[in-house]
Amino acid sequence: MRSRGAHAAPVLALLVALTLGALADPAAAADRIRVVATINDHRLLVEAVGGDLVEVDVLARPAQNPDDLEVRPSHMAKVRRADLLVINGLDVDSWVEAVVVGANNPKVIPGAPGRVDVSRGIPVLEVPTTKVDRSMGDVHPAGNPHYYLDPGLTPLTTGTILEALARVAPQHRATFEANRQAFLARVSAALAGWQRALSPYRGAPVVVYHKEWAYLLSRFEIRQVDTVEDRPGIPPSPGHLVQLIRRIRDEKIKAVLVSAWNDRRTAERVAAEAGARVVLLAHGAGAIKGTETYFDLFDYNVKALIQALE
Amino acid sequence: MGRLIVVCLAAVVTLAVSPASAQDVESLRREVEALRKQLQSVTERLQAMEARPAPPPADATVPAPAAPPSSTATPPPATPVRPAPALATAAAPIAQAPPSTAADPPAPGLADYARPHQPFSLAERRGPGQLLFDIGVSADFVGTLTQRNVEKAQGGTFSGQENRFFPRAIELGLFGQIDPYARGVVRFEAGESVEGGERGIHVEVSEAHLTLLTLPFNTQLKMGRMLNRFGMLNQIHEDDLPQTDRPNVFTRFLGAEGLNENGAELTWVAPLPFYLEALVGLFDGDNEVAFGRGSLRAPLVTARLRTFFELDDANAIQLGVSAANGETPEKHRNTLLGVDLKYKLVPEGWRHPLLTVAGEALFANRKVDVTGDSDGDGIADVGGTRTRKRWGWYAYAELQPWQRWALGFRYDWTQYPTAPGSEWAAEPYVTFKPSEFLRFRLAYKHTDRTHRVTGPNDRGSARVVDEILLQASFILGAHPTDAF
Repeated sequence: MRSRGAHAAPVLALLVALTLGALADPAAAADRIRVVATINDHRLLVEAVGGDLVEVDVLARPAQNPDDLEVRPSHMAKVRRADLLVINGLDVDSWVEAVVVGANNPKVIPGAPGRVDVSRGIPVLEVPTTKVDRSMGDVHPAGNPHYYLDPGLTPLTTGTILEALARVAPQHRATFEANRQAFLARVSAALAGWQRALSPYRGAPVVVYHKEWAYLLSRFEIRQVDTVEDRPGIPPSPGHLVQLIRRIRDEKIKAVLVSAWNDRRTAERVAAEAGARVVLLAHGAGAIKGTETYFDLFDYNVKALIQALE
Repeated sequence: MGRLIVVCLAAVVTLAVSPASAQDVESLRREVEALRKQLQSVTERLQAMEARPAPPPADATVPAPAAPPSSTATPPPATPVRPAPALATAAAPIAQAPPSTAADPPAPGLADYARPHQPFSLAERRGPGQLLFDIGVSADFVGTLTQRNVEKAQGGTFSGQENRFFPRAIELGLFGQIDPYARGVVRFEAGESVEGGERGIHVEVSEAHLTLLTLPFNTQLKMGRMLNRFGMLNQIHEDDLPQTDRPNVFTRFLGAEGLNENGAELTWVAPLPFYLEALVGLFDGDNEVAFGRGSLRAPLVTARLRTFFELDDANAIQLGVSAANGETPEKHRNTLLGVDLKYKLVPEGWRHPLLTVAGEALFANRKVDVTGDSDGDGIADVGGTRTRKRWGWYAYAELQPWQRWALGFRYDWTQYPTAPGSEWAAEPYVTFKPSEFLRFRLAYKHTDRTHRVTGPNDRGSARVVDEILLQASFILGAHPTDAF
């Protein structure tokens, strides 16, 4: 007759095996650096610099507005395992602090080496020069946070990411630097092409729904003359829309730029009244089908701008 | 004679001028002395500032990379909206990130916690308009309309405040990093209440706690005065509640204030591909409705397990189980068990959930002293104790087809934890949010009880209660991010 312990042993072994299996992490097994980025655009940059040495996860889904994300425990589970947390900064992903507090990962708490704010050193646009309050809508007091839509800033952003990765894995600095240089060479070549393609439209005026294209338009020297939202994040008033329609007509503005999460119906109503067209741009990599890579994102946006301004 | 006149005049002038010059010299001396003191003061302040360590940048560990040379920038357009940022073109040299000068902060040891630290100033400015912590104010006002007999019996949802519009909770919250190792939260709350028949505004420290963030094995320790993480609603402040009021089951089992205790909570997040958080807590047990012993010799012990699954990009579900065990003032043990569930549907590209469904059930196993006819069977009970096993639950569904508007319905049913009888309530409501910082809510609540509630001094009674509830809330300044 077998003892009760003899029956329990296989069950216990199975439980231990299951637990170890659950605890086993593919990234750990491959000795890769586990990185979590708050937005998809930074995920692509980290992958470009880190190459095969990194495994990157992202918190905001590509189609989501990163400025308005609901914190979920699944975000905490991702950050719980991270060696490095890459944040956009400039208040667009300030929700990440709630994620960090719930993740119980001391590697990525404020001030820890496993944390990097990519906005550091960026020449920030639209920094308010007067006192701001919420009567102005969702104004970002530190300036426009959508710098990731400027391919010309990749030397700065990838430089910041390189330093962060090198802090976590200093032995791989040379590899990171080589990856970065190769990526920047591709970006430089592509950027020259994008600028050539848009050069006939330098100075062309456009209306945007929300001020998220400031860096993209500045890079390609297209003028943002007005917004559908009279105050960021707050639905526009009828009076503002009437004035906007008049202005689009008077100044013969051809395009109203929107992103996937903007109120498309309002933009289309304005454009239809004023004789302009609504152009859907990708507000980040993967926001629209076919914009999954860094180069696809700008290829798409440049083509969309050309079609709109022709 | 002429010489005499000249000498006289000189003497007069000299006599007249001399005192004035002396005054000037004295005045100048005083001014020089004052300037010398000012210079000395400035020098001392300068030396003191130089002696202080330089304040770290916002992200102290990350050096700012140098911008590419301005000569590589494309000239701005003829009528630019704003200057173009620095540009890297095909011909432009690639900007090199400077070598890191950041050193990893030392891992805190036991000695680090024991060693006294330089205290931070209350509101040191880091830049224009920036403080070392966040400040936020929230205000929550509630209005109720109900029957006259309910008001007399004080049998409404907000007992003693029937047919009134009153400030339920005005809250000042301060929160931020204490140092590299800990976060802190302090909240002061003021609100109208009725105590001992007297209506007034009471002010209290509703929360004041710190969380140690750098403990080993992915644990965190939160200690101080806090809203316990028991169930789903207990830790939510009044202005953030999904409905105007807390469900009857919650207030019957835990009181209107919920579990707001002094003690500590230890949390651990499991190293799993999905979220699993375990929590244990140790508290005084001051809650008068459920426990009330108020002593660490017989502490309130809590535990919670919470997990979360994303079924796909749009659908997510959270599950939790909670337990609390403590003693009543009569030194009888009370054990509470809770299970909770929350589901949300957020369609792709939406900024808000289209559908939220949530519910919670509470079970109590409590010993009570038996005096009189406690079980309502018409027979007087002899003294001693009895075990009361009671439970209740609530569920709600909320539909938010537009960003500003939401419609919802809540149903709850509960037994009374110590007395016989039960009650159920149904509450449809509509919420209007002009922005995320301003909210209005209108609700109708129907409560049906098996037993009448009798007011103080036997004034009035209420079994069926119909109420109109109005809520207005706003937020000034910072507000903690709302989680799932």
